[in-house]
Amino acid sequence: MSDLENIKADFLVDCRGLSCPMPILRLKKELKNLKTGQIIEIWSTDPGSKKDMPDFAKKQGEEFLGYVDEEGYTKYLIKKGG
Amino acid sequence: MEKTSLRSQIWSEIKRGYDFVFIKDMPLWAAGIGLGILAILIFLWRYPWGISSGYGNWGEQLYYYLGLGKLAGLKEAPLTPWIHPVSIMNLGMIFGSMGAAMMKGQFTTYRAPGREYVKGFIGGALMGIGSSFANGCIEGGFYTAVGVYSLGGFAMMIGLALGSILGVKYLIWEMLNWPVKIPTQKPVENKKAPMINWNKVYPFIGGAIYISICLSFYVYSAFDKTVLGGMAFFGLWIGFFMQRSRFCLQRTFRNPFMTGDYEMVKAVILSLIIYSAGSAVIKWGFFQPDTHGIDHRFWLGSLVGGFIFGLGMVVAGACASSGLWRAGEGNTKIWLAIVGFITVYPYFKYKVANTALGSFLGKGIYVVDIFTWTWTPVVYLAFFLVWYLLAVYNSKTEKFVISF
Repeated sequence: MSDLENIKADFLVDCRGLSCPMPILRLKKELKNLKTGQIIEIWSTDPGSKKDMPDFAKKQGEEFLGYVDEEGYTKYLIKKGG
Repeated sequence: MEKTSLRSQIWSEIKRGYDFVFIKDMPLWAAGIGLGILAILIFLWRYPWGISSGYGNWGEQLYYYLGLGKLAGLKEAPLTPWIHPVSIMNLGMIFGSMGAAMMKGQFTTYRAPGREYVKGFIGGALMGIGSSFANGCIEGGFYTAVGVYSLGGFAMMIGLALGSILGVKYLIWEMLNWPVKIPTQKPVENKKAPMINWNKVYPFIGGAIYISICLSFYVYSAFDKTVLGGMAFFGLWIGFFMQRSRFCLQRTFRNPFMTGDYEMVKAVILSLIIYSAGSAVIKWGFFQPDTHGIDHRFWLGSLVGGFIFGLGMVVAGACASSGLWRAGEGNTKIWLAIVGFITVYPYFKYKVANTALGSFLGKGIYVVDIFTWTWTPVVYLAFFLVWYLLAVYNSKTEKFVISF
C-alpha cells in the first residue's frame, strides 16, 4: 500500500458524503477528460465503492490501481486505459 | 507440543470459517441463491415476502400518535412494531445488516450534504406512493410477485425500468447543471485518541446482535408467538445476505441504463428461478392456496406504481429493501428516505384501497390461470432467457445506456 500513497494523481474527484450511485457517475464524467495514462483519484465515504470502483474501472477498460483508507474516507486510484 | 499445535490448527480453521462467513466479500450469485431459498421458506412459514406493509405499520404509528389516524382510516391503535409480522421482519433486516456490517468493519455513519437528505426524503415519499399503487414495493410488488406467479410483477418491472431511466436522467442533469457541493472538511488537528476504539468493539456488538435475534425466536415462542419469532429470524438472514453481498434490487433496473452493468440482473434471475420453482411446488402441492400472494393491481397500478417507485428509488439511492440494509450500515441519507416513505404510504394505501381508484388500477391476476402449469414454466424460462440476453447485449453495445 505504501506505493499507492506516493502516486500523484492528475485529477481529484471528491465524493465524500455522496452515496451510490453518485461516486460512479461523477467518476464516469471526469474520465472523459483524461488522456491515456493519466491518473484520477476519487474520495468516497460510500462503503459500496470498494466493490463498485474496481468493477466499473474494469468494465470501462481502465486500470484500477488500488485504494487507501484515510481518516474518515477512502481514496481510490484509477489509471485511464487506452 | 503436539497438543498446542493441534489446538492452534483447529483455532486457525475456525478463524478461516468465520472469515468465510462474516468477512470475505460474498458474491452476488451466492446471495441470490440464499435469498431465493429464504423467500421460499418465508412463503411456507406464512406470507409471501414483502416489505412495504412493515413500513406501513411504522407510518400508522406516526399518524395515530399525531392524531391523524383518520387520514389512514385508523379506528384504533395500530399493532405495536414488535407484534406486526412484517415490521418485525424489517427490524430483523436492519439489525442483520447492522450486525454484518459491524463484524466486517464496514459500519460507519457519515454526514451527507444537505440536499442529499432532501432527495432522500422525496425519493422515499415517491416510493411510498408507488408502493401503494402497485400494492407492494420492489420486493413484494416485483420480486415476490414474479416468484409467486402474479402478473402484476411483470407490469411493475416495465414501470420500474421506465422510472429508473427518468431517475438516471435526472441524476445526470443534476450533476452537470446543479451539482451537489461537497463541504470542505477541515483537517483534524492534534486529535485526541478516543477513549474507546470502536472499530475493535463493533465486531463483538455485531455478534451479540446475531445471537440476541436468534434468541428472540425463543422469547416469542415462550409467549406463544412462534410465527412472529420466525419473522425476526428470517429478516436477520435476509439482512445478512443482502449486506454481505451488497444485493441491491434497484441496481437491477438502474445500472443497465447507467453503465450497462448487469451483475444484479444475473443474480436476480438466478434467485427468481429458485423462488418460482419453490413456489410452484408449494402451490401445486397445496401447501399454500393457489391464490396466495396474487394481489398486485394488474396492470395500471403495477405499471404506474412501478414507474413512480423506480424514479423514487434512483433519487433516494436505495429501494425498500436495500434501504433497510443501508440504513443498518449507517447511511444517514437513507434514514430520511425511510421517513419519507412512512410519511406518505399509510394515506395513499388507504385511499387506493377504499376508493374507486383501487379497482381502476386493476386486480391480481394469476399467471397459471392464463398459461396452465404445462406452459407456465416454459414461459418463465423463456422470459428469463430474453431478459438475460437483452442485458448482455446492452452491456456489450451500451445501446440503452444513457450517454452524457
